[in-house]
Amino acid sequence: MSRGKPDLERSPAKLRALADEELMELVCRNHANAFEIVLERHVDAAFSLAYRMVGRRALAEDVVQEALLSLWRTGARYDRSRGSVRNWVLGITHHRAVDALRRDGVRTSKDVSDDGLGERLEAAERTDREVLRRDEANEVRVALDGLPSEQVQVIELAYFGGFTHTEIAGMLELPVGTVKGRMRLGLEKLRTRMHPREALT
Amino acid sequence: MNWDIRDDECSEFGQAAAYVLRALESHEADSYEEHLHGCPLCTAEVSRLQPVVDALPSTLPHLSAATELSARVMASVRSEAQLLRAAGASADRPERERVPRRPRRPEFLVAAVALGVGLLIGAMAIGTGSKVASPRVTSAIASAPAGAHAIVHESAGRAELVVTGIAQPPAGKIYEVWLAHAGGAPRATNALFGVTRGGNASVSVPGNIAGVHQVLVTAEPLGGSTHPTSTPIIVATLPS
Repeated sequence: MSRGKPDLERSPAKLRALADEELMELVCRNHANAFEIVLERHVDAAFSLAYRMVGRRALAEDVVQEALLSLWRTGARYDRSRGSVRNWVLGITHHRAVDALRRDGVRTSKDVSDDGLGERLEAAERTDREVLRRDEANEVRVALDGLPSEQVQVIELAYFGGFTHTEIAGMLELPVGTVKGRMRLGLEKLRTRMHPREALT
Repeated sequence: MNWDIRDDECSEFGQAAAYVLRALESHEADSYEEHLHGCPLCTAEVSRLQPVVDALPSTLPHLSAATELSARVMASVRSEAQLLRAAGASADRPERERVPRRPRRPEFLVAAVALGVGLLIGAMAIGTGSKVASPRVTSAIASAPAGAHAIVHESAGRAELVVTGIAQPPAGKIYEVWLAHAGGAPRATNALFGVTRGGNASVSVPGNIAGVHQVLVTAEPLGGSTHPTSTPIIVATLPS
């Protein structure tokens, strides 16, 4: 291979010092230890998203497992100009969770949480990076709280519920155009609130 | 932003929000993706809205994934890394980097799998100590240079085949799942499937998987066949 042998000797401590994007370059060269660090950094976020979407622990784990293996196998397609590794991981996880929801019809039973693990599994904020993410999360939550409830509703049903706009229109007994309009208005307002300066341009 | 003007310029402009939320029906999403290739207006709108959607998961309560989950994933990853190293330079990742987003031609895939076919099997019984009984996960991974992969998830005698990175079946063909017992010829099933644009599919394997030695996939005429008419593109050998 043209780019030299993978640095298999690199210690976990050295790998941990690397940014996600640098780790992904090693992942592209089949560096399992580098992948393990990427996994450690993002597996909780992926699981949190999958669990919120599918509502069942075992299925959420299946979704995350599929997503992470897909990440490993398609690592070469990661393009840093298109966003962070975290967003990429979460994008794949979201994709897989939507597939699982639409495929298995698990929604019928997902309201019955299998073990109410929400409180008990709340993870500690271990690093500065986590604290920073928590700050960002607060910003997004504040922005969401400021939206009209009918816009939050369609965004949540679509993104976290995995429902299509036609399904949402059926559930809410609204025209499809109204649902899409609310999605559009809601995202636009969120964007303005999250990036006020940028939104002016 | 003045959407009315944008809507006048492009009739598809209003799809962008539903698209980034993944709320379009799959056929709508497919045609919108085609549309994006030729529409800078919609492409810009998608790029503008995507970061908003990307931020939504940050609002969720932070849960900890089970350590068994990471262990399971890393077991597969290490096996594949080892296999790829053993397969040498020709099977290494740079090959994948040259892989276009669209799947390769089936002939290539067949050749690649028939050639090397590192077929790697790992099975783990997991979850003995966990609260929730986890399914037995059987990994059958075809690490051929073509980038096709298959995993069989098995639980209580039922199995699901998850494939990634395989080409669309040739025109007029569909993929068919076959089951073979040790030493026996593949038996037809009624599991026929196509794959997504990205080459992915999840298929329930019909019947009881107990005693099955291999799960195979071939391209067959629409409606399926009773005997395989082409070389299998996936051969997943299950641990006995």
